[in-house]
Amino acid sequence: MNKVAYDLFLGCVIPARLPYLEVSSRKVFEKLGIELRDVDGFSCCPDPTGIELIDHETWLALGARNLSLCNNNGGVISFCSGCVETLKGVNYFINKDIDAKQKVNKYLKKIGKTYEGKTEVKHFAQVLYENLEKVKEKIEKPLEGFKVAIHYGCHYLRPSEFIKWDDPFEPVTLDEIVKTLGAESIEYELKMECCGNPLDKSDKDLSLQMIDNKLKAIHESGANCIVVVCPACYQQFEFNQRELNKRNNSEYNIPIFYLSELMALSFGFKPEELGFNFHRIKPKGLFEGIGFNV
Amino acid sequence: MTEVLCENFSNKIIKKIGNDTMSVINFEFRNEVLKHNASLSYCYQCSTCSGGCPVALLTEGKYNPRKIIEEAILGLRDKLVESQDPNPWLCSTCQKCVELCPQKVELTEIFTLIKNLCFEEDKYPEAFYSQGKAVFDTGVAIPYSNSIIARRKKLGLPEIKIAPAEEIKILMKETNFEKNILRGNE
Amino acid sequence: MSERNLEKNSKSALVIGGGIAGIQAALDLADMGIHVDMVEKNPNIGGRMAQLDKTFPTNDCSICILAPKLSECYRHPNITLYSYSEVQKVEGERGNFSVDILKRARYVKEDECINCGVCAEKCPMRVIDEFDRQLRKRRAIYMYYLQGVPAIMTIDKDKCLWFTKNACRICEKVCEREAIDFEQQDQHIKLNNVGSIIVATGYNLIEDIDNEVLRNYGYQKYRNVVTALEFERLLSASGPQDGHVKRLSDGEKPKKIAYLQCIGSRNDRSRQYCSSICCMYTTKEAMIAYEHNNELESYVFYIDMRAGGKGFQSFIKRGENDYNIKYIKSKIAQITIDNKENPIIVYEDLDNGEIKELTVDLAVLATCIIPPEGIEKMSEVLGIELNEYRFVKTPPFDSVKTSKGGIFTCGCVHEPMDIPRSVSEASGAAARAAEVIRGG
Repeated sequence: MNKVAYDLFLGCVIPARLPYLEVSSRKVFEKLGIELRDVDGFSCCPDPTGIELIDHETWLALGARNLSLCNNNGGVISFCSGCVETLKGVNYFINKDIDAKQKVNKYLKKIGKTYEGKTEVKHFAQVLYENLEKVKEKIEKPLEGFKVAIHYGCHYLRPSEFIKWDDPFEPVTLDEIVKTLGAESIEYELKMECCGNPLDKSDKDLSLQMIDNKLKAIHESGANCIVVVCPACYQQFEFNQRELNKRNNSEYNIPIFYLSELMALSFGFKPEELGFNFHRIKPKGLFEGIGFNV
Repeated sequence: MTEVLCENFSNKIIKKIGNDTMSVINFEFRNEVLKHNASLSYCYQCSTCSGGCPVALLTEGKYNPRKIIEEAILGLRDKLVESQDPNPWLCSTCQKCVELCPQKVELTEIFTLIKNLCFEEDKYPEAFYSQGKAVFDTGVAIPYSNSIIARRKKLGLPEIKIAPAEEIKILMKETNFEKNILRGNE
Repeated sequence: MSERNLEKNSKSALVIGGGIAGIQAALDLADMGIHVDMVEKNPNIGGRMAQLDKTFPTNDCSICILAPKLSECYRHPNITLYSYSEVQKVEGERGNFSVDILKRARYVKEDECINCGVCAEKCPMRVIDEFDRQLRKRRAIYMYYLQGVPAIMTIDKDKCLWFTKNACRICEKVCEREAIDFEQQDQHIKLNNVGSIIVATGYNLIEDIDNEVLRNYGYQKYRNVVTALEFERLLSASGPQDGHVKRLSDGEKPKKIAYLQCIGSRNDRSRQYCSSICCMYTTKEAMIAYEHNNELESYVFYIDMRAGGKGFQSFIKRGENDYNIKYIKSKIAQITIDNKENPIIVYEDLDNGEIKELTVDLAVLATCIIPPEGIEKMSEVLGIELNEYRFVKTPPFDSVKTSKGGIFTCGCVHEPMDIPRSVSEASGAAARAAEVIRGG
C-alpha cells in the first residue's frame, strides 16, 4: 500500500504570528511517520471570518487557487480550523453550484490554473484521531495532572453540512485524543460556545465579553489548562486574559495549549524544544508534574 | 404597530415601523437574495435562531439573526445595508443558527450576501479593510516581517514561499475586489 | 368458547392493534354480527390512551372512558382477543385472507389467574416499567397496567430469574390457584376465511428511537426535563407519583413549568410533519397541573398554535384566562440548567425582539409522534405500502384505505391524530371492512 502523504496548508496566523505552534505540529507528525509536504505558492486561505464576509466570490477564487496547487494522495491538511473551513467550503460551493465552478475556473484561467473540486481536505486533529493507535504507541509521558478544558471551537465542527467531521453539538474526537494522552477532560458549562474571536474585527467589547464568559466557566470547572485546535481561538484565550484581568479585576491565569503541544509533550519532547517560552501564560506547574524542570 | 402603505400598487411600498423608521420594500433586493439562496423562503419565523444565538443573548436582542432574515424576506434593503439594523457584522459566525434551524435556512450564507452588499456600499468595519488590503497587496493576511522570518529560522522552521502577489492581484481584479477595496482607501 | 352470535356468513375480520382505534373498530364490527379476531402485541389491550391521565378538550378521565370499552371488547361474544401476540404471516387477498398468529406464552394459565397480585408482590426482580415510561419499576411477573384487560399476569421471560438463572419460582409457590406454568409454550394459530383486515397499531414517540433531536434540550441528562408522555404519567393518579407532580431531581413541587412545542416535528432535520396533537395536549396537561396546584405558572413556547377542532380554540382561551397559562410564540433552541438543576430557557420575545431568559422548575417536551416500532416488518407481512414518513400510505380522500384491497387502517398508524378522530376513523374502517365481508 502506498504511504499516505499530505500537502500542508499553513495559512497565515500560525506561520507568520505563532510559529511555535507550527513547531510542535510538525514534530508530532514526524514522530508518527506521517509525511507532510510543503507546497510553494499558497496565499491566504482566505479567512472565512474575514475576506469571505466582504467578498464571497474572491474567497472562492483564491481558495480554489490554493486547492489547485495540491496534488498529494492524502489530500491537504491544515493546522488551522479556519483554513480547513475555507478549503472544505470552497469544495462544497463549487461542487454544489456548477455556475460558481465555471466562474471560478474562468478566473483561474487568467493565471493559467484550473480546479475541479476534487482535493480532499482534512483538519490535522482529524488525521491525529484517525491515527490514534499509532499515537498510543508513541506516548512516553502520559499527561498526569493535566485537567484539560477542551475548546472545540466553532469552525472545527460547523457547518456540519460540509465540515462533515464529528458531531456539531456533542463532539467526541478531541476528548478522546486528550484522554489517550493521559490527561483528564474536564466538563464545563459553555464548552460548546464560541470564543468570540471573529467579533474582534467589529466589536472588541463584545468579543471580550464572550471570552470572559468562557474563561469564567472554565475557571469554575477546576480545569488547569485549555486546549484548542485553531489559532484564532488560541489568540483569543492567550492574549486576552491579562486584558480582562486589567479591566475587571479578575485573576485569570490559565495556560493554553495547542493540541499538538500536548501531544508533543506526551511524546517526550521537552518544553524548550517546543517554544513554550513564547507562551504568555507559562504552564510551569504542569511541566513539573510530568518531570520537566523549566 | 406595523403599518404598510401601498403607493399606486407599484414596486414601492412604504412600511412604517414604530414611530419614526420608514422602510421601503425593495423587491429587486428581495429577489436577489432569494435567487442567491432560496432557503430564505423556508423561514417560518420560529425564532430558534435568535433564542440559540450567543450574540443575541449578550446584546439582549440588539443583534438578532431572525430579524435579519425577516428583513431579507420583506426586502428591506435600506434597513439591512444602509442603516444596518440589526448590525450584520455582529455575527460571530459560530454557525449555531445554521445547525439549529428546523427549516434548514442557510442563515450564515444569507448574512454573507448581505455583508458582501455592505462591502460594495463601503459600509463595513475597518478591520476587514485592513485584512482585505493586506491580501490584495501581498497575497496573505499577515505579511512575514523580518523578525518573524528570523524567529522561524531560529525555531528550525522552513522558509515559506508565498503566492506571487501578481497572480492574486489578477484574480482580485477579475472579481471586482480591487475596485471595492480601493474605494475604502479614498 | 361461548356460542357466537354470528351471521350466516362465516367470514371474519382481523383487527391488528388493541388501542382505542382498534377497539372501536372491533366493537363496531362485532355489533354488526361479524366475528373479529383482535391481535395485540402487549400483554393487555388499551394502548396509548390507557397511559393518559385526561383527554382533551373535555378533560375527561381517560381510563374512565376507556375501561368500559376494554371489558366490552374482552367479553363480546363476537370478539376473540389474542393479547401478547403478533401477526406473522398473511396470505390471500381481499375477501379471503389466511393469517398466522404467534401467541406468546405468558407462563400463566389464563383460565386460572384472577389477578390477585400476590405473585408480583413476592417477585424479587425489579424491571424498568415501559408503561410508566421508565419512571418506575415493576416486577418480572406483572400486569402491564393496573386496569389492564385481560386481567391476567404475565411473566417477562427475559427478566425472570427462573428463565435467566434457573432459580426462584417464588410466584409458583405463592399462587393459590396454581396458575403459574413454566412449561407453557408459544402457540401458533392459523385463521382462515378472514374477509378483511384493519391495521390500527398506533404510534411511537420520537424519544423511543432517536435522542438526537432531544439532546439540545438535555433530555436524559437533566432530571427536570421530561417528555409530555412522561409528564402525563406523572400527572396520572395511577402513575409513579400517584398524581402528585414532583421534580425528579429533588422531589419539590414545581411552581413554574415550561412546555416546549414541536420537539422533532416540523423540522427538516427530524420529522417534517406536524405532530398534530401537541398544542392541545400540552394545554390539557398545563390545565391539569394547575388543578393540582393553583399557584402554578405555565409557559407554552410554540411556533404556531394549531387548535383546529371543535371547541379547540376556546380550550386554548380557557387555558390562558383561567389556568394561568402564558403562550409565547418562540421556538426554543436549547435548555441549560442552573446549579439547582432548574431548566433555563432562552427565547426571543417576538413582541419587542428582546432576548429573555426564563428559569423554570420543570420543562416538558412535546415530542413528535412517529410510526410505530416494527411498521416496516408489518408492511411486508401485509403487503401494504408506507408513505415517505413511514406511516401506512393512504389516499388523500379515502383515509382508511391502504394500498391493498381488503386491508383498511385507522388511527395514528397512518398519520398523527387525536382520539376523537381515531375513533371516527375506526368506525369508518369497520364499515368498509364489513362491506368486504358481506360481499361488497
